[in-house]
Amino acid sequence: MRNFPYGPVVVRVVETEASKLDGTAEFDPLAVRLAEGDPQAPGSLVKRHYAELYRYAFSVLREERAAEDAVQDAFERAFSALGRYSERRLRAMRLRPWMYRITLNVARNRLRQRREVPLEEISAVDSAGHDEQREGVMDALGALGKLPERQRVAVTLRYLQDLPYAEICSVTGWPEGSAKTLVRRGLMRLRKIMAIEDTRGDRR
Amino acid sequence: MNEPSVERPILLLRETAARIAPVRGTPVDEVLAGATDSFFAAESPLGTVYVAVGQEGVRYLDPADSEEDFARRYRRRFGRFVSPAQGDEVAGLAEKVASALAGERVDVPLDLSRATPFQRRVLHVVKGIARGEVRPYVWVAREAGTPGASRAVGNVMANNPVPLLVPCHRVVRNDGSTGSYAFGSGEKVRLLRGEGVEPEEISGSPYVATPTTGIVCHATCRNARRIQPYNRRAFRSVRSAVEAGYRPCKVCRPVAAA
Ligand SMILES: [Zn+2]
Repeated sequence: MRNFPYGPVVVRVVETEASKLDGTAEFDPLAVRLAEGDPQAPGSLVKRHYAELYRYAFSVLREERAAEDAVQDAFERAFSALGRYSERRLRAMRLRPWMYRITLNVARNRLRQRREVPLEEISAVDSAGHDEQREGVMDALGALGKLPERQRVAVTLRYLQDLPYAEICSVTGWPEGSAKTLVRRGLMRLRKIMAIEDTRGDRR
Repeated sequence: MNEPSVERPILLLRETAARIAPVRGTPVDEVLAGATDSFFAAESPLGTVYVAVGQEGVRYLDPADSEEDFARRYRRRFGRFVSPAQGDEVAGLAEKVASALAGERVDVPLDLSRATPFQRRVLHVVKGIARGEVRPYVWVAREAGTPGASRAVGNVMANNPVPLLVPCHRVVRNDGSTGSYAFGSGEKVRLLRGEGVEPEEISGSPYVATPTTGIVCHATCRNARRIQPYNRRAFRSVRSAVEAGYRPCKVCRPVAAA
């Protein structure tokens, strides 16, 4: 389990047609490869984002198979939408935040769909590798899950996914100030939740 | 985030992040299998062609200049990405395609799910035209259940998603002349010669009849090929042959109105 390998994915291209078109000068070389028909590009997109999107989906769904299914679904939706884009639009895509947006929606919908099933049962189902480390992960995600939706999303994107604020805003559509406020409040709340769980843990 | 009070949750989250990873690594092939269509290259009489595979079989065949060119054309036409076929995912199909393109009689499963019912009927009819034979548009239209729709048949041929596998080069104009081809009429002539058809023999006289049987055929019908040269009567239309007392062949079923 190493930190996910996310390299720099945006390069600065000055004075191209599309940059003048929409006022942004940031280009994702992978979006260009997709637009130009590089048959390896779809695989590269999967390789580049699978692990981080899986981590996000897992943090919401807290179950391996459910997280895998959600990410698969997200990629299928993504390719199906991108497939219909014009080359020019594709070229200008910021793929990372866009992939996140789809994954956020898919994970949220899937969580809603299974509201009836208590989370404890779900975690019990795949408790095959029930070691201390895993328990720690599940506790942390459990605490995250107690945050109000927007705070949970903000804190998760910032510290579990390590997204910079600019990308968090691009994913969520929030102004940067709101994103920072949500992260700060979320962290404070998380700290309280952890303190309460510490006392419970002591009594145990 | 210098507030000491929130350092602990941050550390915990970072530690947690490092411990969450897909159990099976990144299943690239599995994701792509669901999200893109696979493709492979094959050798054909038109040179190297690329072949994209849909749910039911071959969806698209194109003698593109490069993989990139092919991927772009495919996306424009079907709105989907292609990625290279992995392992033996399509090995059986690729083998069939290779044999079919080499001129063997192999049935290659096609995925024509994106075609209209009319297009599908036309493509199905054309798929049945044997190597070494040609048929006019008017015949294809009639066989597809839409007599007289020669022009519409021509459109389907021009946009045939699977040339060679559905041999649209074996469909000629109603007067027997070769007509156009998506990859050039010169290529069409060359392909037909390669299959033992002499286009100029058919041009202008697409039908032949013989007094020994009293039957009129498409010039390339297997029955017509058995006619001795001295018994061979060429006709420009079926109608003129019928007027001369000949009956249409039951094997190649020339259109009496043509
Ligand atoms: Zn015949």
